[in-house]
Amino acid sequence: MADILELVDVDELRHRVRQKYRDVDADPSGTQHAHHFHTGRAHAVRLGYPSHPLSDLPEKACEAFAGVGNPFYWGGPKPGERVVDLGSGAGMDSLLAALWVGSEGSVIGVDMTPEMLERSRSMAEKLGLKNVEFREGLIEDLPVEDGWADVVISNGVINLCPDKIGVYRQIFRVLRPGGRMTVADICSERPVPEEALRDIDLWTG
Amino acid sequence: MITGAGLVDVELANPLDTFAGAGGEASAREFGTLGYSIRAHKQA
Repeated sequence: MADILELVDVDELRHRVRQKYRDVDADPSGTQHAHHFHTGRAHAVRLGYPSHPLSDLPEKACEAFAGVGNPFYWGGPKPGERVVDLGSGAGMDSLLAALWVGSEGSVIGVDMTPEMLERSRSMAEKLGLKNVEFREGLIEDLPVEDGWADVVISNGVINLCPDKIGVYRQIFRVLRPGGRMTVADICSERPVPEEALRDIDLWTG
Repeated sequence: MITGAGLVDVELANPLDTFAGAGGEASAREFGTLGYSIRAHKQA
């Protein structure tokens, strides 16, 4: 099989992913046009998110959550830790991490969709959380310094990047020695054929 | 892939039928796609 980076138009894929998450921002529950994934607080509960601190977040902070699993399956970040959230989207996981790490810790969410960054920043401000910031960028080129993070989290985003090994190299770069990655993402049991890999519709929905 | 980037102690856990009942369910069934929690470390 050809290298995946030769099969996919990366710029077009990023454009379509941004459009998909603009749609989620505009219509989180998919009432106008159904999303191909579940969204919202009830979905997070189904995925096994702990009721605390999830219950501390208002509905608006959860409505556009679109994760595929539970990055906190092994527990949340500890007080004082530094966390990077790859593809922070609507910001729910970054906000939860900010509550877990407390005022001595800090969280950086990175996302490429301006509407999602605006939503996340607005919610952090409303909640009075000074220990979380949202940076515009690509997870294949993280705007975070080497060795800064104790923990890297992500939910349902790495699968949208053709250069997955590049993303994992970035995770390695930003983690401190001894740091950990606890992410959630989709994996397929059966090999995805080349014609499906070329089909951007299948990547985004 | 994860170990190729230098991370160690990779664990895959908590498989979830994340697309059940959603629009993406048919594609997920076709390829056996599930959501997982994934943990790994950077050696100290």
